[in-house]
Amino acid sequence: MATVTAAAPRTQRQRDIRRHVFIYLGLSPFLVIAVFPIFWMVITAIKQDADLYLMDAVPFWFRQWPTWHNFDFLFHNTSYGAWIVNTMLISFWVSAITILTAVPAGYALARLRLPFAENLGIGIFMTYLVPAIILFIPLARVVSTLELQDSWWALVVVYPTFTIPFCTWLLMGFFKTVPFEIEEAAMVDGCGQLGALVRVVLPVSWPGIITAIIFSFTLSMQDFLYSLAFVSVSEEKPVPLGVATELIRGDIYFWGSLMAGALLVGVPVAIIYNLFLDKFITGITGAAIK
Amino acid sequence: MTQLSSPGGGPTPPGSLSVTMRPRDRAMSWWRTPTARRYVFGYTLLAPAVLYVALLVGLPFLFSLYLAMSDASVSAPIARFVGLENFKSALENAVFYTALRNSILFTVGAGIMKGLLGTTLAFLLLQPFKGRKVVRALVVIPFTLPIAVSVLGWKWMFDSQFSVINWALSRLNLIGGYGSPDWPVWLGQPGLALLSVMFVNVWRGFPFSAIVLLAGLTSVPPEIIEAAKVDGANFITRFRKVIVPMIAPILFIGSAFDTVFTLSDLSIVYLLTNGGPDGATEILPTLAYNTGIRGGALGRGAAISLFLFPLLLPAMILLLRTLRRKQY
Repeated sequence: MATVTAAAPRTQRQRDIRRHVFIYLGLSPFLVIAVFPIFWMVITAIKQDADLYLMDAVPFWFRQWPTWHNFDFLFHNTSYGAWIVNTMLISFWVSAITILTAVPAGYALARLRLPFAENLGIGIFMTYLVPAIILFIPLARVVSTLELQDSWWALVVVYPTFTIPFCTWLLMGFFKTVPFEIEEAAMVDGCGQLGALVRVVLPVSWPGIITAIIFSFTLSMQDFLYSLAFVSVSEEKPVPLGVATELIRGDIYFWGSLMAGALLVGVPVAIIYNLFLDKFITGITGAAIK
Repeated sequence: MTQLSSPGGGPTPPGSLSVTMRPRDRAMSWWRTPTARRYVFGYTLLAPAVLYVALLVGLPFLFSLYLAMSDASVSAPIARFVGLENFKSALENAVFYTALRNSILFTVGAGIMKGLLGTTLAFLLLQPFKGRKVVRALVVIPFTLPIAVSVLGWKWMFDSQFSVINWALSRLNLIGGYGSPDWPVWLGQPGLALLSVMFVNVWRGFPFSAIVLLAGLTSVPPEIIEAAKVDGANFITRFRKVIVPMIAPILFIGSAFDTVFTLSDLSIVYLLTNGGPDGATEILPTLAYNTGIRGGALGRGAAISLFLFPLLLPAMILLLRTLRRKQY
């Protein structure tokens, strides 16, 4: 008896361990492929320049002391500071425009039982899929008509073309989950429709609104084509464009500062995006799951 | 009895009750009924978003059709109508066919790879194991990094002389040292360059495939899988006959998104090779950008980018149908 009871948990545990080993073995190539480039970028960013080009030794570690030189270089010898400010201001204004338009639209589509609401919602969402590569040439004309070429304001005008569709769709799904009763109670208490929206629905909807702001920010950071096509003055560039175009002089690549500049904004964006990734996925697939 | 007071018996909607009580309101215009006021309120709330999208996506799209049929350029603001001339000149250009072929090859090839890798990863992540959350967070990093940022990392890893990939291959004695004939110049040899840009696209996209698939798989109720098991369905049968049909809408949406973003992405090729070496990695987006903005021929550029539209259309129709079928 005693041997049986002692043996049973052990085989269970062994099986569990074996299962874990198999899973980790299966996952390890994925992990290496996903993470190695980031590790390599980090180590490049803090290596001394000479250390980058010593191919005889193992390059995965330092042979000379790590250095902050590349970050210094970014802030003192390039317009990196201005790019960060531009990126922040662009994100701020894009978020503001997106929230001011997508919150009311998402609410109307989800709540007001409007004729054609579903089709309008799908229509708005579909515009998210009209890619920049088809729109950038006509939008170049729009931007120059507005006399915004070579100013980051051009991007403030253009980025909502993808943040509004996405966030309207996201918020529509979100508003559908807010119970109808609280709104009806407010209207019984004498609030108008607008009053009910502003005083009752919006205060309980802040998680959805925060999510929409986060996506206005992260989706703007994913853009490359619009900024490349519309902004060519160094001082006006957002970070991804600035790093990709200004740290390369002819054939000379400043690899250390390129990686430093890329990571300094890339890592925070990746972390925020990572935390909200499930919301992004539900945002685009939500309609299919429900 | 109170029932007598309501004509026709049965419960009366509040609207008609007011009609019987206050006959004057019958003349009230439709615009002042609660329904009408709700509609006005609703469409007012919708208007800013709809107008923004109509003015900056809808109109520009139509405008690009017009530009594509004109000889508009950056230097000459007044454009002449040239009919289908731009499309014709694109079709007469050998580079266009390379770009078209590469675009399709790129999208299909990378799509298959992302599908395979994403499926494998999704099934691994579906298992319960220790550290699953950490692994998931690490494995989705490629997708969450801004694309221009990670492509720069790859450009450095594909460096012609200091490529860390080559260093590793060389240490493993799979290739000779720098300068030897089998030293791969990833972005400098036509075949390798195309593989490299595809690889970066796969690297960025496989986490997305995996996470979308995972969202689908976790939405399948376990009872259904159990029922299929009881009925004697093995893993393959369960996957093909039970899971895939159930998660098909999510798969459609995921692949529609991925196709559109892969087909229309400029940044990977632009930053890694800009279409080179010798046009080997030219795709429609780079060709459109270089013709329209760099070369200043807005009309020709618009025409080239419009050739993407028929390629994108199947994905968009698939998405539209999937979304509409879900409306009950």
